Amino acid sequence: MTTTVEATARSRTAPQRPGFFKRLFAEYGQEIVVLAAIVMLFAIVTMVNPRFISANNLTTIFSGNAYIAVAAIGMAMVIVTGNIDVSVGALIGVLATISGSLAVAGYPIWFAWLAPVVVGMAVNAIIGILVAYARIPSIVVTLGALSILRGGLISVTGGTWITDLPPDYLIAQKQIFGLPVPLVFMVVLTLLAAFWMRYTAFGRSLYAIGGNAEAALATGIPIARRTVAVFVIHGAFAGLATILFATQLQVIQSTVPPNLELTVITAAVIGGVSILGGSGTVIGSTLATILFATIGSALIFVNVSAYWLRAVIGLLILATVLADMLRRRGRGA
Amino acid sequence: MRNVVLSALLALSFSTSLSNAQSVWTGGDDLPTNPLACDATPATAAAKPYDGGQPTNAPDRKGKTIKVVDVPKLVGIGYFNATSKGIADAAKEMGSMDAKTDGPSKANIDDQITLIDNYITSGVDGILFAANDPVAIAPVLKKALGAGINVVGYDANSSPDARQWFVNQAEFNGIAKAMVDSMAAEIGDEGAFAIVTSTFTTPNQARWIAEMAAYQTKCHPKMKWLETVEAQEDNILSFNQSNTLINKYGDELKGIFGMTSVATPAAADAVTQAKKCGSVAVVGLATPNAMKPYVGAGCVKSVVLWNPVDLGYAAAYVLRAVADGTLAPGATSVKAGKLGDLSVINGSEILLGAPTVFNKDNIGNFDF
Repeated sequence: MTTTVEATARSRTAPQRPGFFKRLFAEYGQEIVVLAAIVMLFAIVTMVNPRFISANNLTTIFSGNAYIAVAAIGMAMVIVTGNIDVSVGALIGVLATISGSLAVAGYPIWFAWLAPVVVGMAVNAIIGILVAYARIPSIVVTLGALSILRGGLISVTGGTWITDLPPDYLIAQKQIFGLPVPLVFMVVLTLLAAFWMRYTAFGRSLYAIGGNAEAALATGIPIARRTVAVFVIHGAFAGLATILFATQLQVIQSTVPPNLELTVITAAVIGGVSILGGSGTVIGSTLATILFATIGSALIFVNVSAYWLRAVIGLLILATVLADMLRRRGRGA
Repeated sequence: MRNVVLSALLALSFSTSLSNAQSVWTGGDDLPTNPLACDATPATAAAKPYDGGQPTNAPDRKGKTIKVVDVPKLVGIGYFNATSKGIADAAKEMGSMDAKTDGPSKANIDDQITLIDNYITSGVDGILFAANDPVAIAPVLKKALGAGINVVGYDANSSPDARQWFVNQAEFNGIAKAMVDSMAAEIGDEGAFAIVTSTFTTPNQARWIAEMAAYQTKCHPKMKWLETVEAQEDNILSFNQSNTLINKYGDELKGIFGMTSVATPAAADAVTQAKKCGSVAVVGLATPNAMKPYVGAGCVKSVVLWNPVDLGYAAAYVLRAVADGTLAPGATSVKAGKLGDLSVINGSEILLGAPTVFNKDNIGNFDF
């Protein structure tokens, strides 16, 4: 009896719920670290060369890599469910060629924009079905998809580029409310996806699937269907990323940036998405993309070879994964 | 645990470049350079004995109409359509060559070997080729020489002893001179420029940049080399890197060199979107098709590459001269119709000449 009274008294003086900042850090630790790194970098490089925060350079940093952030949103969802997709770079290349070809062939602009989203969803539906129902590990399925998409792209295009794109099609070069379209895409999609994953039952279930699939199944979550759905959503984001990728320049090349899929996966991982599944947010993946872009630009501004960018990112990956492992060990998971 | 290994590998792939990192990077390699003269004086060819092959028991073909097959890397792409057109033009002009082009539909060495083998069997007087693999193609070409067929390469060489001559489209120092001279013509002899290249380890780009540095120091010493940035073969990264250069240097930056056909259009797009056309020049290596929008809009004035129509044209004339016996081992030049005298370099190669600078007036004539 006395112990209960004591306990009640203690809980009155020291609230059981930790403070706001402590909770924030417990939940968004990695995101806060990445954000702090961005702010610090901006402060340091701006002191070296104030042109770093000129409006033009901010546009280059935030807008020029937005397509990677958009692709990383879908990737983050896939990784949260405990899967991975190494084919997204090749998929974006294929979708860009489809979209550009439609635009040049005179189809309505909205159709050329819609096509990559729909096709991306269809392709990833197949991948999702193979993963969820044929029970093939996602890395194997998507490695296969990578080869098929990359080979198909080169065979179909023969290496030729798409030129003469209609000016109205080039949405990534336009502005909404004085802001570059890619930036708006990135921010709006990140926030929508973040709210969806945090506050809807469907969104929450992705964490359950990645965290403990058996428990998720026991609570009645249809794991197979949700896995297909998350790949389809990832395909839609790949399609949206394609719209930005394809319209940034006046020509669409039949090649995709080398290692694009690795860049996208890395953004998710450094942003705090656990490579083991079950945790992480898309706010983190978007911040990580911005961090890469900031590092890349900063290296030029402080005259350091771009080779350091890859070295720095490599170290960041190791540090992030290590921190993730330690956190899990601490929790006894 | 498997996932942890995966992510470690991922990290490793990004950090392998660490060992390559160095503090100041111009982007060039450390090989010796050989800058050309500042005026149009051709390079003095270092004497090197003929190292090509010879056909066995070739019949006397002097002045006779010869049957020639041209086997490019692949057919159906603009570049080899252009070389094929050059060969047809030369054949028509000479009136003594029956030339046709027949190549694999994909750039596949096995298909190319089979094709050449079939033509050896069916009987031709001459073979023109652009090799998909310099070593793998050698045996079948030697077989052709053994059958008394004249063999001349262009665009992509084989081992020297597997063919008689090779028409070399451009040497590194020639490209470097054309690039730097074009830039100097646009931004003046004291302008500052930067370079967007693919990677530190791409051999051709590193060679070109080293020759550009040597030529610029020799012939345009007051031009200012700001920095070289790498952008892999990534168009959006090339665009972002070009933008960052523009943002960093502001009005000081007068020109950007694009070292690849990926980087050059991306740099042109960056300049266009930054509304710097006319104040920042873009000069680069690229195919005309990729550059037409920018050249057409007047934002890019000089695109440097060789002319593939001339390349095919020269190859046909070289083959004719070989069949006639007018181009024999030890020769120092060969007449190639409207192209005039072309010089012999490196023992058994014919240099096409200075690279072509594509501009608003001529770019519409090319489709590759």
